[in-house]
Amino acid sequence: MILTVPFMARAMAELALLALICGPVGVFVFARRLSFVSDALTHTVFPGVVIGFLAGGVEGLVVGALVAGLLTAVVLTLLTRSGALSDDASTAVVLTAMFSIGVVLVSRESSYTSDLTSFLFGRLLTVTPRQIVETAVLAAVILAMLAIAARPLLFRTFDPAAAAAAGYRLFWLDLWLNVIVALVVVAAVRAVGTILVVALLIIPAAAARLITARLAAMAVIGTVLILLAGYGGLWISWTASVDHGIALTSASAVVLLLVAAYLLLLPLRRFLPTRGRSLSRGATPPTRKDSPHELVG
Amino acid sequence: MSWWDDALHRAIAEVVLAGALAGLIGVQVVVRRLSFFTMALTHATFPGVVAASLIGVNVFAGGIVAGAVVALGVAALSRRPGQNAAAATGVVLSAGFALGAGLIATQSGFSRDLSALLVGSILTVNNQDILITAAMLVAVAALLAVCARPLTFAGFDPGGARAAGLAVGAWDVVLLLTVEAVVVTIVPAVGTILAVALIVAPAAAARLWSARLPVITALAVAFAVASGLGGLYASYLWNVAAGASIALTATLLLAVSSLLARPLRGMAAA
Repeated sequence: MILTVPFMARAMAELALLALICGPVGVFVFARRLSFVSDALTHTVFPGVVIGFLAGGVEGLVVGALVAGLLTAVVLTLLTRSGALSDDASTAVVLTAMFSIGVVLVSRESSYTSDLTSFLFGRLLTVTPRQIVETAVLAAVILAMLAIAARPLLFRTFDPAAAAAAGYRLFWLDLWLNVIVALVVVAAVRAVGTILVVALLIIPAAAARLITARLAAMAVIGTVLILLAGYGGLWISWTASVDHGIALTSASAVVLLLVAAYLLLLPLRRFLPTRGRSLSRGATPPTRKDSPHELVG
Repeated sequence: MSWWDDALHRAIAEVVLAGALAGLIGVQVVVRRLSFFTMALTHATFPGVVAASLIGVNVFAGGIVAGAVVALGVAALSRRPGQNAAAATGVVLSAGFALGAGLIATQSGFSRDLSALLVGSILTVNNQDILITAAMLVAVAALLAVCARPLTFAGFDPGGARAAGLAVGAWDVVLLLTVEAVVVTIVPAVGTILAVALIVAPAAAARLWSARLPVITALAVAFAVASGLGGLYASYLWNVAAGASIALTATLLLAVSSLLARPLRGMAAA
């Protein structure tokens, strides 16, 4: 059992906490097509991490990331609602600009390559009990926020016009969801790195959607997939490095297992009965026809 | 000592060529909303480059092959019922990056390569990089000029284009592969983040000034080259990372455009 080794047990505990939040949040990321937003957030917290570290050392990291994440959520929501630029272009610009600020700040310091690397991959195997507590607190906040707003968010996802007519302010709902995604990224990014956060938010829900069209089931399946891939990934990277001398980063192993699960589930969909109420009609929100190209909406 | 021997001069040449290339393709990326796809390409061609350098073939060829797989993969996945393009792109992005990072981590000295991939190393481009960029600029400009009509038709009115007998799906694939070739060309020199910044920001800024494709294209190329040169100068002046300061200059141009374009265009119309 690899979990008897203390640092492996801590890594698994961190992954289990992330599985709890990424399963449900991933469903919304999938249905609202926020993949690019979550990818952007993983990059935009970087300047916050740098500034936080410069200002307050290790203590400042989470605060800095939190401020940068919330700022990104607000800016992205504002830009998307203003409509001057298309969503994807404004997301790309915010991503590159904020990440570049981080790189500029770091390049003034000496050893910035190692910082960038740990930012990309995280330090899953050196997660401290303090980090696990931080993640747990953020996880509780995220789940509470999601529980409060789940119904209006669903309403807004599948029928924005009716939600607006029913009196919901779409701007605040969009901001609420973006803040939730930002908090997930903040909770996860330092421990597990950007690559793994993006994968945890996107792949489990997309894979779960291949087997079911029910949102609650998608959330549960997503969580279970992350738990399985997390344990499997830790085991593979442990075995590879201890028994075979191959340095396989655990974050990469977890992501590749998730992708493998997605690919395995792809052919399954064909054999499932499609029901009348199935979401294959409604799972994707009605596409706005102003997009000339539907390939990447 | 010839002019080419100076690293800064080579960087200037590369930044002008890469800027022109990025501006050209950026117009297509922005009007057809392919930003996330571009971002995914920059990350997902990574394992191809790593694998190519591991087995000792040309890294450029490796990137092209991996990018083609990614482009076709996204196109195929997003056509499945229930799956959306955003999620499919996200899956491909994480898969490619994790695969590349996993491959490279098995080698030694990988942190340097990785950060070069992210932020680029424009001050260390060699003559071969510049030649490849120049050749690709000529090829892409020719392709976009020759195929402008069907690409625009298929992009803005797929139904009409199909009725007129155009193979819309095939033209989409042509566009995706062109974007892919550009990304593979400029990422080794300028890095993933700067590649996305140079492709999206100048074209988005140009789009604010005009609604006519030829005008947008000319403006986008000018903006991209200007932000390249301006960013390089800023990086030289304040000793900060070149790629990042170029990306920030491009963002600044976009911010200024979004403040000025609407009032100025209103004045011109009045």
